[in-house]
Amino acid sequence: MAKRPGGELATRPLHFIWMADCSGSMKGDGKIQALNAAIREAIPHMRAVADENPNAQVLVRAIRFANGAQWHIAQPTAVADFKWSDLSADGHTDMGEALAMLAEQLKIPPMSDRALPPVLVLISDGQPTDNFQQGLDMLLAQPWGKKAVRIAIAIGEDADHEVLQLFIGNPELKPLQANNPEALVRQIKWVSTAVLKAASAPASQSTVPLPGGSNVPIPALPAPNAGPASAEDVW
Amino acid sequence: MNQMLKIGQTVRAVSTGTSCRVEQFLGGGGQGEVYRAVLIVESPTGAQSNSALALKWYFPAQATAAQRAALAELIRKGAPNGRFLWPIDLAEAPGARGFGYLMPLRDPRYRGIVDLMKRRIEPSFRALAGAGLGLAQAFLDLHSQGLCYRDISFGNVFFDPQSGDVLVGDNDNVAVDRAAQGAVLGTPRFMAPEIVRGEALPSTQSDLFSLAVLLFYMLMVHHPLEGAREAAIHALDLPAMNKLYGAEPLFIYDPGDESNRPLPGYHDNALIYWRLYPAFLRELFTRAFTAGLRDPQSRVRESEWRAAMARLRDAILYCGACGAENFYDAEALRAADGAPGACWSCARALVLPPRIRIGRHVVMLNHDTQLFPHHVDDQRLYDFSQPVAVMAQHPVRKHLWGLKNLSGVKWDVTLPDGSLKEVKPDQSAPLALGAKIQFGKAEGEIRI
Repeated sequence: MAKRPGGELATRPLHFIWMADCSGSMKGDGKIQALNAAIREAIPHMRAVADENPNAQVLVRAIRFANGAQWHIAQPTAVADFKWSDLSADGHTDMGEALAMLAEQLKIPPMSDRALPPVLVLISDGQPTDNFQQGLDMLLAQPWGKKAVRIAIAIGEDADHEVLQLFIGNPELKPLQANNPEALVRQIKWVSTAVLKAASAPASQSTVPLPGGSNVPIPALPAPNAGPASAEDVW
Repeated sequence: MNQMLKIGQTVRAVSTGTSCRVEQFLGGGGQGEVYRAVLIVESPTGAQSNSALALKWYFPAQATAAQRAALAELIRKGAPNGRFLWPIDLAEAPGARGFGYLMPLRDPRYRGIVDLMKRRIEPSFRALAGAGLGLAQAFLDLHSQGLCYRDISFGNVFFDPQSGDVLVGDNDNVAVDRAAQGAVLGTPRFMAPEIVRGEALPSTQSDLFSLAVLLFYMLMVHHPLEGAREAAIHALDLPAMNKLYGAEPLFIYDPGDESNRPLPGYHDNALIYWRLYPAFLRELFTRAFTAGLRDPQSRVRESEWRAAMARLRDAILYCGACGAENFYDAEALRAADGAPGACWSCARALVLPPRIRIGRHVVMLNHDTQLFPHHVDDQRLYDFSQPVAVMAQHPVRKHLWGLKNLSGVKWDVTLPDGSLKEVKPDQSAPLALGAKIQFGKAEGEIRI
């Protein structure tokens, strides 16, 4: 018999969506392998954050884009059950189609009308080969697209910072630059923990001001550890 | 990964010069990381003895001179009472930037409030009321020293779901009330409205608001301001939270404004728990989140919470049919002509146990009730160290219960027929309607 009535603290869903560039260039220098490894590495940390968060029901899924876009993990999956299956790379960079596809899923329904701001993470190493702006417009036409926390990670030197910045839509928040696997691991971990936390149950508010202009207080990315990565790691 | 200290590395306790070995990463927060460390103490014979501590190490941006000075001051002052995981000593690491501090390690029997919110632990109402009492006492002692906590929230307090014993962690933001500006404003949902609005900085007065939120969460598994207004918000982002908890806060049970009542399907816990508790507790929460919401000077004090939690514990009675804990509510009884209502768990009619009134205390005499100096001596309020009385069965006639004298002095009992009886230590006073027990400094009267 339960000692006390009622259930868990009421939660709101928090949708966390990876959007991964799987174009041919991601094949080079083990980038796609590094991305797969970084996401896998981040899952237990993400789980720990979700576990300690009584206000959110964290649901994860993923889109891949190359020649067109597909849901890599279509079902919004509780982070406790989330498993990453490896992405492979080949083809173009149809980022616009990925955004359009995402916009479709952010409509109400299938989205609920009450939620925490979704977290959308766009990861790319190149330039869109399709109509990026059209996709972005469709995304931002959706209330949940507009309210979402949009983070971008630029892999290597050839990533198009301009489009990633347009995706973020907040001049004070820059794309994260990952020039080696170590940086990618660090950034993927940061979005899956600190940003995830900020979007639902923000940690203690610091008197040090956070980057403004955002509807969610995004904490600063911690500085990398001392010691440079080896030269071969640099993309 | 990305941890600031390496497992196996040594840090030095600044004032004693003692070395500590970093053993395990325990977790990271907004200001730094916490590790398990062992003190390496070498005795004159060369034998090593190790004792485990917790080590918090600050992120470079947080490792400020002001933080260091604040810590040194806390270490100098010492803990307000034994319920704090208080800083013991500053720590530095050879060759590493920044600093940290050492504090006692939390015993794993203490669990966080998130475990309570996610129902991963299932304490009794008795343990919860005890935890509420312990927290009120801890913050009373802290505030009495002129200190304020500034960040009372889910992550910083712990309790033992069996006993209700509490621990307060993360004490490095504690500071002299209204002295220097600290590093934190507080945690959303716990911050007082005037802080959310940017009109004030954390203080003892805002701690009182956060404490009321925490106690409401613990007892109701719900936030006191999340009702219809919360349900109407689509995206609960920072602007929405600032509105809900800062600009336009409204208590879900504000007697003067029904527009923010909890909604079925969205706020079920609030609907279930609110009516379960006795009127005196509802009235206290109502004051905390109406007058106390608007005026920091009108907040419910820790001593009031402490008294309410002790009273709540005394009001617990067990359903005779299913054993669930229910509450004695004198006001509800009067309103219902003495009918104690139905059990929340099995819905069958409750039967009141015998009870005793001692001064302002009314204590249910359940099979497991104990009385403490708190109940029988006004000079020793909140002394729950050793029971002075316990409910006991008659050794032969098992259906007869009495109140056994565990104190060192005899009680004088006046039975309903006017006869006098002496109850020596280890003897039991019979439970008869109207019987009066003189405990020494206070007299109790039995009701059945």
